Amino acid sequence: MTRESTLPKPASLPAKRSLMRPAVIGIVAVALLVAGGQLPDFRVSQIASMLIFAIAISGLNLVAGYGGMLSLGHSALFGVGGYTTAILISEMRLTPLSTMPIAIALGVLVGALMGLPATRVKGIYLALVTLAFAVAFPEFLKRFEELTGGAGGLVVRSVDLAPPAWSGFDRFERSQWMYWLSAVVLVLCLFLVRNLIRSRRGLSITALRDNEIAATVCGVSAARDRISLFAISGGITAAGGSLYAMYIGALSPELSFTVFTSIQLITGLIIGGVATLLGPLAGGVAIVIIPAVTLDLANGQAYGLVFGVVLIVVVFLLPDGIVGRLQKMRVFTGRSQSAAHTST
Amino acid sequence: MTQLIERLSDGLTNGFVYALIALALVVVFKASSTVNFAQAEMALFTTYVAWWMTTRGISIWLALLAACVVGFIIGAAIERTLVRPAEKRGEMPTLLILVALFTAINAIDGLIWGLEYHSMDGLFPAGLDDYVSVASARIYYEDIGVWAAAIIALAVCFMVINKTRLGLLMRAAADNPASAALSGINVGKVYTFGWGSAAVIGSIAGILIAPISPHQLSMATMFPVLIYGSAAAIIGGLNSLGGAVVGGLTLGLAESLITGYVGFIGPQLHQTTALAVMVIVLLVRPTGIFGSRRLERV
Repeated sequence: MTRESTLPKPASLPAKRSLMRPAVIGIVAVALLVAGGQLPDFRVSQIASMLIFAIAISGLNLVAGYGGMLSLGHSALFGVGGYTTAILISEMRLTPLSTMPIAIALGVLVGALMGLPATRVKGIYLALVTLAFAVAFPEFLKRFEELTGGAGGLVVRSVDLAPPAWSGFDRFERSQWMYWLSAVVLVLCLFLVRNLIRSRRGLSITALRDNEIAATVCGVSAARDRISLFAISGGITAAGGSLYAMYIGALSPELSFTVFTSIQLITGLIIGGVATLLGPLAGGVAIVIIPAVTLDLANGQAYGLVFGVVLIVVVFLLPDGIVGRLQKMRVFTGRSQSAAHTST
Repeated sequence: MTQLIERLSDGLTNGFVYALIALALVVVFKASSTVNFAQAEMALFTTYVAWWMTTRGISIWLALLAACVVGFIIGAAIERTLVRPAEKRGEMPTLLILVALFTAINAIDGLIWGLEYHSMDGLFPAGLDDYVSVASARIYYEDIGVWAAAIIALAVCFMVINKTRLGLLMRAAADNPASAALSGINVGKVYTFGWGSAAVIGSIAGILIAPISPHQLSMATMFPVLIYGSAAAIIGGLNSLGGAVVGGLTLGLAESLITGYVGFIGPQLHQTTALAVMVIVLLVRPTGIFGSRRLERV
């Protein structure tokens, strides 16, 4: 028996492909984005940061959602993307956009490195290994101070972050530019995630999560799939980090890239919905709104507490997350999702 | 030579504290098969409680006792109300709850006691003249006190676990929950007690480290201790009490010697080094040096 015949076709493939659904989704999405772009500048900027976190979370979603491996190390991948972009802009005088492929490539590399242990250890042990990356990253930033600015951080001049001429935005419309850029990157990432999960590789990844032994018996290579999953996840999260650097312009190890950032991303993913395509988008919105709302509470110190409490509440009361819950209620059209896509 | 002895003495002091936290993690692991990410933050909370009591003029020893009681209650309550219900939902939800507690407890400390650094009086005399000379190196009473306190705490733990009926129940419930329950042990209560005791061990560690920590008593005091403690527990083997102690002491000594003598790592890559050792141990021997493999039913 060949390997081809042992695996069933992904159940989610529709019987007949209609262009209606993608067309409607596309039009609604573009309409929403255009409407969003009309908001006041600070709102546009806020939405841009939501989109950026949504990108980072959709990277985490691959590993933690579809792969079932809790990673505490995605702050490091986010940071690899951010610092690569910031360093290349200020040291090598590259344009912001051209640093992105390099940031993504490094994210893929570090992601793969993080995935290596995943072939040997799992569960809490893997969580600890990924925690090691999260803790090591700020320490490395401080160790290689001449490149990274150390504890003081790195500031990119805003002149260097101006939108490119072809975009039609001038340098005072940076939030508009970041908004559209993040939206396009997010759509590309979600498209990638969707297709990956619907592919044969995606099926073996979810099979590994649901029953490793059964999947391996069917010929799935746990090592290959887990490493490549971490690598792609690293690339996506690094893309988010790269955009974050362009967006924020100033990076510091203690503010943006500690294990707390990982916890934020995880919280966002859980709120949005683990192993759902649009969960990361809802999660990105949530983790931008939570600090903004709690800013007035107790001098803004309450927000670590709010993150913790929200995470606990969601785990117990809304385990499928917002999008997962909506999907179960069949809010998005009548077509039911395949079990492989919604189960955790 | 003088410097070496002083570095060893420093390393031993930290090592004992790491060993205590590692021990607490092992006790929790034996009960719930999970690593309590919030262990060190729980300890930080009770350390703050003790510090707050000393600022009210209460003796530090009494404050230690109070911190242990508060710790026990918090530990037991967390197990009963959050961890056990989460365990029914699987490994990932349990981890998420612990990660959430890690952030939440730290934030609560900041909300109650503020972000500033507090200097805390130790349990032992800490004057500049309180030392004994060994080969012209100074070993401070403070360090000797930490060693003694840690040794006593560890000895009591081992006695309780290995020589008392309560310890027998704990070992039975950890080894085989189903059989333990069938022989009439209330496994749930034993686990709750385990979490409570782990928090007591943590409280002791917190009160020992806060006076000598570079962060003094602040929100950042216990995070490095968690990192070293969990690395120590993994290196020793997550289900081995003795391994936790060996792991903790080894890491403490290694930390101080490596920082002192290996230039590349220097003062910045402290935690990274400990974690790198942990990752290597995990990859080569996932059960740690003294741990035993848990068999999984397919």
